[in-house]
Amino acid sequence: MSMDQALQTYIEESHGLLEEMEAILLRLENEPQDDETVNAMFRAAHTIKGSAGLFGLDAIVAFTHVVENVLEEVRDGALSVDGELVELLLECRDHIGLLIAVVAESGGALDAAQTAAGEALAGRLRARRGGAPAHAAGVPAIHESPVAASGGGPVEGDCWHLSIAFGHEVLKNGMDPISFIRYLSTIGDIVSLAIDDSELPGLEEMDPEACYLSYSIEFRSEADKQTIEDVFEFVREDCRLRIFPPPSHLAAFVERLEHASGNTDMLGQLLIEAGILTGHELETALRAQDSMAAGDTGTRPPIGEVLVRDGLVQKEVVDVALEKQRQIRDHKAQEARFVRVSAEKLDELINLVGELVIAGAGASLLARRSGDAALHEANSAVANLVEEIRDGALKLRMVEIGETFNRFQRVVRDMSRELGKDIGLEIGGADTELDKTVVEKIGDPLMHLVRNAMDHGIEAVEARVAAGKPAKGTLRLNAYHDSGSIVIEVADDGGGLKKEKILRKAIERGIVGPGQNLSDSEICNLVFEAGFSTAEQVSNLSGRGVGMDVVKRNIQALRGSVDIESAEGRGTTVRIRLPLTLAIIDGFLVGVGKSSFVVPLDMVLECIELSEADRQIAAARSYVNLRGEVLPFVRLRDEFEIKAPPGKRENIVVVQYGGQKAGFVVDELLGEFQTVIKPLGSVFRHLKSISGSTILGTGEVALILDVPALLQLGVARDAQRLVRET
Amino acid sequence: MEATLRIGARHDNGLCKLRIEGELTIYNALQIRDGLLEHLASSQDVEVDLGGVSEMDTAGFQLLLAAKREGARLGKTVRYVSHSPAALEVIDLYNMAAQFGDPLLISARQ
Amino acid sequence: MAKTIMVVDDSASLRQVVGIALKGAGFDVLEACDGRDALSKITGQKIHLIISDVNMPNMDGISFVKEVKKMASYKFTPIIMLTTESQEAKKQEGQAAGAKAWVVKPFQPAQMLAAVSKLIMP
Repeated sequence: MSMDQALQTYIEESHGLLEEMEAILLRLENEPQDDETVNAMFRAAHTIKGSAGLFGLDAIVAFTHVVENVLEEVRDGALSVDGELVELLLECRDHIGLLIAVVAESGGALDAAQTAAGEALAGRLRARRGGAPAHAAGVPAIHESPVAASGGGPVEGDCWHLSIAFGHEVLKNGMDPISFIRYLSTIGDIVSLAIDDSELPGLEEMDPEACYLSYSIEFRSEADKQTIEDVFEFVREDCRLRIFPPPSHLAAFVERLEHASGNTDMLGQLLIEAGILTGHELETALRAQDSMAAGDTGTRPPIGEVLVRDGLVQKEVVDVALEKQRQIRDHKAQEARFVRVSAEKLDELINLVGELVIAGAGASLLARRSGDAALHEANSAVANLVEEIRDGALKLRMVEIGETFNRFQRVVRDMSRELGKDIGLEIGGADTELDKTVVEKIGDPLMHLVRNAMDHGIEAVEARVAAGKPAKGTLRLNAYHDSGSIVIEVADDGGGLKKEKILRKAIERGIVGPGQNLSDSEICNLVFEAGFSTAEQVSNLSGRGVGMDVVKRNIQALRGSVDIESAEGRGTTVRIRLPLTLAIIDGFLVGVGKSSFVVPLDMVLECIELSEADRQIAAARSYVNLRGEVLPFVRLRDEFEIKAPPGKRENIVVVQYGGQKAGFVVDELLGEFQTVIKPLGSVFRHLKSISGSTILGTGEVALILDVPALLQLGVARDAQRLVRET
Repeated sequence: MEATLRIGARHDNGLCKLRIEGELTIYNALQIRDGLLEHLASSQDVEVDLGGVSEMDTAGFQLLLAAKREGARLGKTVRYVSHSPAALEVIDLYNMAAQFGDPLLISARQ
Repeated sequence: MAKTIMVVDDSASLRQVVGIALKGAGFDVLEACDGRDALSKITGQKIHLIISDVNMPNMDGISFVKEVKKMASYKFTPIIMLTTESQEAKKQEGQAAGAKAWVVKPFQPAQMLAAVSKLIMP
């Protein structure tokens, strides 16, 4: 007899069973059949499924399982038979026949159309089923043979300790401890075995067919606790089994507990999940707990205590599990204190609050004009509340930066391995909060800085040791609040920037004039200059230039600034300063003709009046003399093609951006102004010189100037003019 | 086929020589226990020849253990000799060669 | 002398596959297609383990186990019931009748061998 022959038998047998099924179905359609006949039909499907499993014909098992479930309900009277069901079952019978022909006979698989047809049938079958238990609905998995287990490998000489007291009935049930012990030795080594016969009565008093023995076994195995327990599954109800893990498992258990998924906060379940306790052991302990609660003392001891008392789990492990349980519960409690709100809804709210601020400003203006003191007062109260609401609404969108920082753990780990360096990541100020929209945008620049620091900042191990530094380099991410901004630092304890080389290179590239006198800080910050390219790999500083200008631009786009500080040989710190939120801007309001513009306040250096003399000179050129310095300027009137003629007076708002100073020529200075930014509609996206808009209290729109873009436009035009003039 | 068992006994000067022929298993446990009790009562020392044991299980093993203890309790000796491979295997597995190994047990595994 | 296992199931192919696995492990195998057939074949044999399906024509597994447990020469013989996951009640019934071991259908030959090895050695 071979498996091939057995398969042949299976095919023939299945044909016979399918014919029987068909015959019964046809009879069933016309008249009710007796129980045995219906059962025979169920059995046919059951048999086809069962044997298919033996041959590993999973497709047949899966489909027949659904049929079997329906037939089971028919047999049990839970499902009544009608013409439609018979028709459906006949189709299923044919599909099984097809499966047998294709899968069993030819060893193939159904094609897509056939598979789909089968799925449709299974779907219809499931639909016919009434209140079927959920478990039966799924397709059964072929039960895999027990696989030797997870869990830490045993240390040499480190044994499981098994204590088994067999119940009196086991021998009569045909269960011989000898067999279990032999089986045990197939999944490990029995190091020693001792028999306890203290329960064995005298020869005359004993029941020779009963079992009185207990066993203590020292067992060395890589199997896990469940696998070991399963050896005794057939006598599980008839014996007292204790499985003590090897001492070396203690550490592994503790570790597994610490990494528990947090899906459960029940102590017993936690221990089961970590493979420390088996389901059966927990049930026994819970029963013991119940009986203690029902006993004389009437108190219910904690389950942990019961487990330790019964020696099922070591006290140290229970302590760790309790701690983990506390953590999970804390976490849950914390979750319960939070409400999840979609970011979209928050944005909507903040938008509305923005409108409210603007509308409030309008109302205040009217109230002031009306001269009604009481109205004015009531309005200021409203305005104050609106301001509080605005701040509160913005705070809702604040998130901790810790999560962003933590993502770098993996990056640092992987990259230090790649680079062959030993680098640790330290995180500080993880609980510092900032606007979610800022967090989303800061990831890329941070990644760039972290990579740069690891690749070019921190030296190779040998170099570090030679320099008398610890072999392990440290990268530090830190965040803190500083006067309305958030500061994020990326610091390394690497070699630092080589200022001399930077300066030399900057001069080579024409970024710095040969005679220019620069401070250390100014030199360091040269690495952010666009022209500071790094085609040539010079020591570890050159890399720092890679894309640093891009980083700077990204940060400035967030209305932030970046600064670098470095001590040669000791390390480098890049400091990013960002506004806490992108939704609000501290602006400086200026007027040109009837139009209003907002200049971001942090870029405004000073305002000066454009004197009559300057105006005349300035008419011909685009710079003025500011205390002996050349100050290029941009006329907003020209820039935005405002037709209204200039007023009697003109002013210059001096702005600074990226170490570059410039002026904007405007008519009126209207003062500081905090406002909510409204993004421009997509129609205006291409407008380079405007970054957003806001609505004034009067209902008028003010455009927010994109200072960097304006300056660049100015520079470009100057260059053109120079070309023309020469 | 009924489980076969034969207990042969030969008395010699207060020493009873028993021979168990057949299965030393739960199926014969009652019968063997009764035989052991009977001979232990009538003799000073009992020597059980296990050479004819064709099969042995935990019930059989437990009987040997109980008989040995019973003998000690009565101030008599119970000795097992000429262990068959089937008997040796169980005694070995149970690590009880020291207790059951009289007069000299040569482990089947050695 | 090899030990003998009786396989009782109405599926010839199941009996054959289980038979192949058991013979491969060094057992002798006796087949029966239902409870009644098994009872007629069991007397006068020396069988060390019985593997029986539950749902069979003529005589089902539960009745068969009850009969076997009444026989002097088989009352202590271990019995493996072939149960189905949805039939927890049948498994309980089988255990009460005296079949203390079980294997859940559908199973693979290796699983059957593992269950058998926990009960007897060839």
